[in-house]
Amino acid sequence: MTPQTQFEREPARRVFASELRETRYQFKDGDDEKSPTYVILPTGIRSNRVFIVGTLTEKLRQGDQNIFYRGRIVDPTGTFFVMAGSYQPEAMQQLARIEPPAFVAVVGKPSLYTTPDGTCLVSVRAESISIVDRETRDLWVLDTARETLDRLDAFGTTDDSRKAQEEYGTQPAIYRKIVYDALSQVQL
Amino acid sequence: MNLSEVTERISRKLEAKGAQPDRQKIESRLRRLVEEFGVNAAEAERTVTGDLAREYKVTNIGGTSTELRPISDIVPGEWVTIEGKIVALTPALSPSIAQSGIVADSSGAMRFVTWTRANAPAMEYGHWYRIESAVVDEYKGAPNLKIHSGTTISRMEKDAPLLPSITPIAELKPGVGSVRAKVVQDWEVSHERMLQTGLLGDETGTIKFVTWNEEGKDKLDLDAVYNIFYATVDEYNGRLSLTLNTAMYIADEGDIEVGRSETEIQGALVHIAPGSGLIKRCPVEGCNRTLSRQNYCPVHEIQPNFRYDLRLKAVLDDGIRARNVLVQRELVEKLAGITLDEAVGIAESNPIGMDEIFYRIRNAVLGRYYTCSGSEFGGRLLASSCTPVAFKPEELAALLNRAGGESA
Repeated sequence: MTPQTQFEREPARRVFASELRETRYQFKDGDDEKSPTYVILPTGIRSNRVFIVGTLTEKLRQGDQNIFYRGRIVDPTGTFFVMAGSYQPEAMQQLARIEPPAFVAVVGKPSLYTTPDGTCLVSVRAESISIVDRETRDLWVLDTARETLDRLDAFGTTDDSRKAQEEYGTQPAIYRKIVYDALSQVQL
Repeated sequence: MNLSEVTERISRKLEAKGAQPDRQKIESRLRRLVEEFGVNAAEAERTVTGDLAREYKVTNIGGTSTELRPISDIVPGEWVTIEGKIVALTPALSPSIAQSGIVADSSGAMRFVTWTRANAPAMEYGHWYRIESAVVDEYKGAPNLKIHSGTTISRMEKDAPLLPSITPIAELKPGVGSVRAKVVQDWEVSHERMLQTGLLGDETGTIKFVTWNEEGKDKLDLDAVYNIFYATVDEYNGRLSLTLNTAMYIADEGDIEVGRSETEIQGALVHIAPGSGLIKRCPVEGCNRTLSRQNYCPVHEIQPNFRYDLRLKAVLDDGIRARNVLVQRELVEKLAGITLDEAVGIAESNPIGMDEIFYRIRNAVLGRYYTCSGSEFGGRLLASSCTPVAFKPEELAALLNRAGGESA
């Protein structure tokens, strides 16, 4: 009675801003128009969705005909660039209501842009944004630290991490340092 | 009587004795007797069986001297003779069934049915019978003893005490089972025919139970421990449940530390699905379906006298797997800090109505960390508890060690 292949929602990966900022490699899994697009994170896992928690420090309304919002969200390691347009109505309405500064949680899809002068920008197209509290932010730092360390421990043993090694030449020690520094900023 | 059924029965009897009868031959002989000579089917069966037995030189076919078998050894497809005690009688579900219930011996118990056309004597509850040449088949995944016209039943002058062996809940199989268990949950009955439903648990796990309304049946007390003998174990959608109407239950001393066969997931609520918040349910007894905005039930159509409910359909994501969770009213009230009555009050006086409750609940829980536990069913976790995750300094310390220690 249950279908053989049940739809599985893509998990939202936990990633620090400084790692997401380095992300450059994007691929499509399958030839279909609806096939999911993934990025390979430098610590070696594919990601079609991310979950981030940080402080919304700035939001900007842009566009005349097609209004969209941009936001900057800061975590202990750097800044995420988040956008929400008319294709993400829920996130756009939520973002429109939130006044910075505020602790926010964002679920969204990572996407890559290359500017005309060749620099690559990573942003997150938000699916939802909600106001959270400081404790949730701290929990997210722990959660993201744990998952980043788990990925580093498995580095070199999975296909995705070998791909990451090839694309980025990832040095696990640098990411351990990033994790350590992020954790050090959580106040007891 | 259907002759192919009789043919099948005869050939099975012969096969059980190592012969290889030709089914077509059996059927044509039966047909000849029944159709040309007007012999009744039971007599034809006896004649053909006897003839073939002689031809194949086998003896003791369906005869009175069939070997006595312990109930627990019997598998579907066998012809058997047993001696057992009638430990439960259940109302017949169809006019073609004269009697149904459970027969037990010291090795185990099995459901039985007596066909009306078997013309068998009615068996009495609590007495021992010798049942010869009954056939065992499979009904709803469990062996079932069929008493047909060829079965001989004789009452025995025996009254041996029978102590059923208790099965751990995790090891129950469809059929008949006896458990020693504690009533861990007492649910609201979903149908007027239902006396009680809930969850029973022992050290090995939990199982849903149902008692249907019937004279002389009592409810079980919540948190009490019972010895439940000869309950019916049913399987539905891959899950087992116990029906207590066939069972005898006796309150027992002591307590049981109930083993949890529950799944626990910790993660962030990354999505609140439509259909969360304040919903309307169909008021028809036993229906409970969610109504559309126009109060339309997919089965019972327009239902203006709906009742309200609160629920949360969400995705809990631990970064590795995203899982659907379903949270019921009581937990939603706690998580969102709003009671059902308050929610109804707000919705009825608010311009956007029930959407307002969806937004309030979403804003309270979305993007936050929770630990949810409950049973997983059809790819969805039915949460029996859902608590916010608290920040633990020792986890921070452990992670700092892990990140710093290994890079050195």
